Amino acid sequence: MNTDLMTTIEAIQHQSVGSAILDILFQAVGRYGFDRFIISGLPDRGQDVRPFVLLSGWPDAWYDRYTALGYVHLDPVARHCFSTTLPFEWSRATYDPESDLPAKRVMDEAIDFGMNDGFCIPVHMEGGMQGVVSLVGDTRALTDHSRLELHMLSLYAHGRLRYLNTSQGDPHRRRAITAREAEVLKWAAGGKTAGEIAAITGLTERTVNAHCMNAQAKLGTKNRVHTVVEAIRHKLITL
Amino acid sequence: MQVHLVGAHNRRQYADLLEQNHRLRHRVFVELQGWEALRRPDKREIDQFDGPDATYILVTDEGELVGGSRFNRLDGPNLLQTVFPGLVTEEFPAPPELGADWTRFYVRPDRREGRRRAPESAALFCSMMEYALSEGFSFITFVSTVYMVELGVAMGWRIVLLGSPAKIDGKPTVAAWIEVSEAALASVRRTTGIDRQLLPHGTRTPLPSSGLSLPVTS
Repeated sequence: MNTDLMTTIEAIQHQSVGSAILDILFQAVGRYGFDRFIISGLPDRGQDVRPFVLLSGWPDAWYDRYTALGYVHLDPVARHCFSTTLPFEWSRATYDPESDLPAKRVMDEAIDFGMNDGFCIPVHMEGGMQGVVSLVGDTRALTDHSRLELHMLSLYAHGRLRYLNTSQGDPHRRRAITAREAEVLKWAAGGKTAGEIAAITGLTERTVNAHCMNAQAKLGTKNRVHTVVEAIRHKLITL
Repeated sequence: MQVHLVGAHNRRQYADLLEQNHRLRHRVFVELQGWEALRRPDKREIDQFDGPDATYILVTDEGELVGGSRFNRLDGPNLLQTVFPGLVTEEFPAPPELGADWTRFYVRPDRREGRRRAPESAALFCSMMEYALSEGFSFITFVSTVYMVELGVAMGWRIVLLGSPAKIDGKPTVAAWIEVSEAALASVRRTTGIDRQLLPHGTRTPLPSSGLSLPVTS
């Protein structure tokens, strides 16, 4: 199979912050002839799109204008996402330029920003929520195969970003301690002193104490017993 | 809602539910999703991978079947390598003894209507990972539309493609594997809001008599 696609997907999987995916995607979509992209949820009518944006690879000026003026609600490409599950070229998102002047304005202004053509991947989520990955660039060289690869790549990036977005600020994530800290706390839970733990693990006593202090700081606890209790309660260690 | 693990050790006592499962699968996969190759005149969707080695996770609500999944060990006959070999060009991450193929995932269609998230599918995802951990699998393979990959990744799972996506019956389809880990169980529980064990405790299915699940030495 296409090793670039495989490598890109693995690289996306390994990122733990959304912004780290930006460069990976610029490079990946570049191979298919695209130079800009945006990944976003689509809000209900009248809602601000900004909280829904997962990752923007748009020019800042266009992003600011598009989001501030609520263009997502006028954009025929965004509208077309609701009516298909398959990816489509922007040109397939038809509108009547005579009667639908707002749509024409969005598309004309996009061209002013050098965004004439693009490829759009709708994302339908459970419960009817709608998302989109929109790639900016010339679509004429796309083959059936590259369309499928872009579909897969885009959905993968969307899924990963959605996960990172929802898990941020999760108290359980922030609580996480390292494997070594967990090991030290397990021995402490078994009644071992710092000296004994040092002898068992081959660490110095000072390092054992440092691990305990770090775990205490992460868990927001007051002393060693409190740290062990909280670690057990949150299932960070099992005895 | 209740989750049942049905394998060789207890399938006789689950005969009625398994029969419901075959009928519901016909409705979902043939009549609604249009997999014509699976159509049968008796309206029971059943194939050679429903033999005695298959394991099922079935979800019931007040005694009625509302969702299900099937698993076949990868060191035995399985759908992935028999029906979709063309989708698989990459190696498994571990010996086949350490993996299972996940097929026939469904939620009864009326349970999805008008809901933000079907609790039945959340239950199936969580119990799949519980089952995989309890069996000692390190990876679970599947063939699905690319949309399911997005859903799995959004639950925090590491999913690795086994080959390029291809159009099958007009649907963008891909083979892949899911990494089995405690972290994967924790993240699917967190994203689905399910915070307890769903499979009955101590239901690990007995080892097959062939001895193929002995520790791998190579």
